Amino acid sequence: MSETKTPLSPAALSRRSLLKAGLSAGTLAGTAVAARAAGDPLITEVQDWNRYLGDGVQARPYGTPSPYEAHVVRRDVEWLTAATESSVNFTPLHELDGIITPNGLCFERHHAGIADVDPAAHRLMINGLVDTPLVFTMEDLKRFPRENRLYFLECAANSGMEWRGSQLNGCQYTHGMVHCVMYTGVSLKLLLEEAGVKTSAKWVMPEGADASAMTRSIPLEKALDDCLVAFKMNGEALRPEQGYPLRLVVPGWEGNMWVKWLRRIEVGDEPWHQREETSKYTDLLANGKARRFTWVMDPKSVITSPSPQAPITHGKGPLVISGLAWSGNGRISRVDVSIDGGRNWTTARLDGPSLSKALHRFYLDIAWDGSPLLLQSRAMDEHGFYQPTKNELRAARGENSIYHNNGIQTWHVKADGTVENVEVS
Amino acid sequence: MSKFRDARVGSWRALARPLLTLSLPLILATGTALAGDPAAGEKVFKKCAACHAVGEGAKNKVGPELNELIGRTAGTLPDFKYSKAMIKAGGDGLVWTPETLATYLAKPKDMVPGTKMAFAGLKSDADLDNVIAYLAGFSAQAAPAPAPAPAAAPEPEQTRSDAAPDTTSAAPTPTASGHDGKVFGLGRKAEAEEIAAWDIDIRPDGTGLPVGRGTVSDGEVLFSENCAVCHGDFGEGVGRWPVLAGGQDTLTDERPEKTIGSYWPYLSTVYDYVRRAMPFGNARSLSDDDVYALTAYLLYLNDVVTDEEFELSNENFTEIRLPNEENFIADDRDAEGHDMATSAPCMESCKPGPVEITMHARILDVTPGSVDDDEAGGAGGVD
Repeated sequence: MSETKTPLSPAALSRRSLLKAGLSAGTLAGTAVAARAAGDPLITEVQDWNRYLGDGVQARPYGTPSPYEAHVVRRDVEWLTAATESSVNFTPLHELDGIITPNGLCFERHHAGIADVDPAAHRLMINGLVDTPLVFTMEDLKRFPRENRLYFLECAANSGMEWRGSQLNGCQYTHGMVHCVMYTGVSLKLLLEEAGVKTSAKWVMPEGADASAMTRSIPLEKALDDCLVAFKMNGEALRPEQGYPLRLVVPGWEGNMWVKWLRRIEVGDEPWHQREETSKYTDLLANGKARRFTWVMDPKSVITSPSPQAPITHGKGPLVISGLAWSGNGRISRVDVSIDGGRNWTTARLDGPSLSKALHRFYLDIAWDGSPLLLQSRAMDEHGFYQPTKNELRAARGENSIYHNNGIQTWHVKADGTVENVEVS
Repeated sequence: MSKFRDARVGSWRALARPLLTLSLPLILATGTALAGDPAAGEKVFKKCAACHAVGEGAKNKVGPELNELIGRTAGTLPDFKYSKAMIKAGGDGLVWTPETLATYLAKPKDMVPGTKMAFAGLKSDADLDNVIAYLAGFSAQAAPAPAPAPAAAPEPEQTRSDAAPDTTSAAPTPTASGHDGKVFGLGRKAEAEEIAAWDIDIRPDGTGLPVGRGTVSDGEVLFSENCAVCHGDFGEGVGRWPVLAGGQDTLTDERPEKTIGSYWPYLSTVYDYVRRAMPFGNARSLSDDDVYALTAYLLYLNDVVTDEEFELSNENFTEIRLPNEENFIADDRDAEGHDMATSAPCMESCKPGPVEITMHARILDVTPGSVDDDEAGGAGGVD
């Protein structure tokens, strides 16, 4: 990986200096070793930041990451789509830890660009098979009882470029159409009850206010179960690219249904078969049939480090294998990790909160002997569903499904610590 | 596991599978081309109707109303805010006659540089003659051809809040009780006009279809002007923009081509989507009749209809079935068996020998800027 590294922090340098053998970080390691003889000048010499004053408060009224983190950004793949307004970029999973995705790094998927909506001009309408069709302002919505819930959102096409084989080198690109934030909003059930759902109702259809006027059919049962109409993410207002001022949250189900810039919810007795649930977001099988209404996101996991964009730079010795797991069915119950391409598995350690339909963080701490690895992870959820291999998925579905690829990912860690996306026998 | 996986949705009507031919049409004749035919001109005028009204009660819209246009000095309607260029042209003596209109409408910006009218111009002489004949029917000074019944110019479909964003305080006041909602008393009742403005969705059973009609021929013109820049003249797609036609019998191929004719299950989706979201970057700009015409043309490009004069309307819409309707099935992923109930995942010696690498990432560095080829071979896009 040739990504330019920003200057290392003192902490990183001192961490390196603890390692005595197998160092592969070249000049950095050499410097650390040489420096140790006379004492590390980063320690023995007074540093600028230790002598001079830094910026005062209000230098950054809205805080942004350190300049040393400037490489941690969403990235796109230009050849993938015809126009940036109808395209996608990817969360830099390899640089993140824990289970919360920072708002500015949540991947984007738009169908007609980022709508610029003044919240004072925003309306939410509920119409169709209801007793009283209603219109809410944002102010109205903020007077309903609120809930805070943490959910992952995964695009159904996440890993969609890998159906025919390993293609993109980095978990940002292979798995980066997922994020996980805490939403604050109102239960959709409350809003539907406010309008009064008629007994003949079976479906709802959210609609966006953007220039694609995004629409999807959702069974009423799901709408009344756990959907939220959200106006905050991670405590602050939704970001424009995530649907400011209002979006639908459809926990565990494919991201396309989480309609952004939500302006209307229609209640009906039949699905509408809109463009995004017929021509798109249907899963073509090898026999020419296509599955429709494949809403649930299957259990899935990926090792985020080491990975192609996050190679091992410290040589042999203690190695933290870290990754993410999630399932649209509920909690993750177990993640197994293999270092030999799936012959033998070890159950990894889940750390941090384990919440239904949220990202889970797992770790496997090993002593790396410097030999090549074929790293895999395999998630299982509380209902007993687990990740199949990619070949098992292909055997069941063919290679043209685009969506719902939850096959087990393999990273090839080479002796020099670099990592490549591969497939194995 | 989710119970929704098993949800059987709706009842699928029996398929009426239209006969398909395999070749795409290469040439499509334009509509009737009698010079100066006001009826034909009425169809051409649909291109103008987003901005101009004509006929009884016509008012200025984005452009000036066009009653009594023949004989009018350019730039002189008192209530319309013209460009300086148009006012100057009138001051210099430009009067609208069939001749001056023909020159202007062929390339407006050539004749009056600086005109506000964004329209690029009518390419076809027949269209020019016809639309001028149509407009002349609303001008007393013009030849006394019987004016066709002036159809009400379709209003641009625009949402109320898009047009005039209200502030909260400007929103309609609550009813006497202060509340319409049942439980919390929050929100207010939606007005019928508001629902009509936003609820434009169409279902496969035809629910929601507006009254209207449009022919394949009209659709071809509209498609060429509004759609072909991305989708190609025959729906073949330009670059990575969606292919709309062809691809029949490719769904089991290595590279299936999923088009309206080869893949989409319902025609209602075409009408609904074009009306709500197309043209890309100018949504809600087409009239309902335009969308019928475009839908008809897309049926023609996909050989679902073969008559260039075929007219699609709200009355015959649900008679049309798309060929692939029967090939959509319910979500049966759970039957694939990747679950503990079927078999527990193996933990040890799961493969007979050392594992071999069978494939490497084909793109070794996808950092933006370093991708040097257009990987059209990639396994599908994001949508």
